[in-house]
Amino acid sequence: MDRGNKRAENGPTKSDDYLWDRSGEPDPEIQKLEELLGKFRHDWPVPVFPEIVRERRWRFFPWRMRLVPAVAAAATVAAILVVTFVVYGGKPAPTTVAGWDVSSVEGTPRIGRKPILGKEGTSRLGVGQMLETDSHSRASLQADEIGQIKVDPSTRLRLLDMGSGLKRIALDRGTIHTYIWGPPGQFVVDTPSAVTVDLGCAYSLHVEDSGAGMVRTSLGWVGFKLNGHESFIPAGAACATRPKVGPGTPYFEDASAEFRAALTRFDFEDSTSEQRAGDLAIVLAEARKRDALTLWHLLARVDEGKRVLVYDRLRPFAPPPASVTKEGILRLDRTMLDLWWNELGFDDISVWRHWERSWSGAGKPVREK
Amino acid sequence: MARSGDTGDLLAAGLRPGAVRERSASEISEDATWVAAARDGDRAAFGRLYERYARMVHGVLLARVPVGEVDDLVQDVFMRALGRLSMLRETARFGAWLAAIARNMANDYHRRCVPEDPLGDDLSEHEIKSRTSGGDHEGATAALLDTIMSLPDAYRETLILRLVEGMTGPEIAARTGMTHGSVRVNLHRGMEQLRTKLNPDPSHNGPDEERP
Repeated sequence: MDRGNKRAENGPTKSDDYLWDRSGEPDPEIQKLEELLGKFRHDWPVPVFPEIVRERRWRFFPWRMRLVPAVAAAATVAAILVVTFVVYGGKPAPTTVAGWDVSSVEGTPRIGRKPILGKEGTSRLGVGQMLETDSHSRASLQADEIGQIKVDPSTRLRLLDMGSGLKRIALDRGTIHTYIWGPPGQFVVDTPSAVTVDLGCAYSLHVEDSGAGMVRTSLGWVGFKLNGHESFIPAGAACATRPKVGPGTPYFEDASAEFRAALTRFDFEDSTSEQRAGDLAIVLAEARKRDALTLWHLLARVDEGKRVLVYDRLRPFAPPPASVTKEGILRLDRTMLDLWWNELGFDDISVWRHWERSWSGAGKPVREK
Repeated sequence: MARSGDTGDLLAAGLRPGAVRERSASEISEDATWVAAARDGDRAAFGRLYERYARMVHGVLLARVPVGEVDDLVQDVFMRALGRLSMLRETARFGAWLAAIARNMANDYHRRCVPEDPLGDDLSEHEIKSRTSGGDHEGATAALLDTIMSLPDAYRETLILRLVEGMTGPEIAARTGMTHGSVRVNLHRGMEQLRTKLNPDPSHNGPDEERP
């Protein structure tokens, strides 16, 4: 592994360019791999797809207008029949319960007291119901329009809402791995110490019995929020949360151990102002370019007198756009902070602001009744 | 993007302004047009989506199911997508949506049958070495694919899209909906891990040296 180690020690090489987009000097080792593995490449022609049934859309054609009275009459008759059926005690026809399809991956997960037996066993988690795995069981949840959740052993979660806008679950304890393909901002997970909001992503969320939590994002980004305290966690980053404190400062997991330890102390330990200043100094000294993520969040979390230190450290890593001033950042002008965030290249913060406007009441965890 | 310094600078690719939104506007617009046309019954439009995304779907599946099953599953993925096209709300996310369908169908495949040689099992260095050095060319290639299969999920999928399907990093990002930064990190780290598995002995420099 001499070559690999040299790469790790010396940073990017010309072959990284070749690996990325085939630019630069070709790497014979990668070329060889391409040649060998190319035999598995997809080379099927476009198949003949079946006829696509068009979506039905209302068009205002006169012949359709002539049907309106007949349709109205039929609807009236149907309404009378339904009311009669309900009033005179008939049982309502079964309807599809909004929820997640649950399947057992291992062991015997339970919905309430009902076990899901066997690998082929499936069930449905409805609003208000609880899914629990013991130390030997795993489960998988899926909803076509939202995404998939894998549930690790020793986990308990509840489905709180499955409305047309907000899909909400509560993770009381344990670990889930989510892959969400629904629109950003619609899938929300409550934990005892913060609310996570999917912003188009895949992430893992762990909650300890104490209520402390940790989110790790592998794709896209996640919002973490409690009582106005918010953190944004892009792919490759993590963020801890603690009861009564809320989300800590997000960080990339390949940051130095000193950086991470100082950040944890800064976020969660009950320390003196001198100790906090010391921890901040370590974070600033250890920060690399990609730790602009952490520094941006720290702007709003440090004491006012220390803010300029964070600004000065962040500026060379990710210069703010022309419309963002030092004075504006030091007084925590929301618009300027947002503009600077967008320059970091993680994602557009307007997605989050839109979510906040739409779901202003959703930023607080729903407690267990 | 910084081209010097420590490995962190390489990983900092995700910090470039607009790194997440580097997919061309015309491509997104074409996707939206084709999706809309396909919803209206235009099979040719869906065929164009197939041409654009088939390699990505193939790679996503190849990272999860046995080689012999992949081609059929590719067709199944597109058939499922066709049936659910009306449920896709954000046409700009067609690629990410399609990738999710492919990953789910791979999961379904594993739920239906227990593979004899489960994917994701870490191959021992001895096993890799004996499989890559012992057999014929076909066997060595299959063993190489097996070695990639032993890498973590994210690295495995991205490396297969790059090395098997021949897609560049920017193409992978555009097709799967991943950020450039994530793809770059996955490629870089995945390649490092692959090199480690292929060359456990420091005296060896490349996989080709071991081949007959």
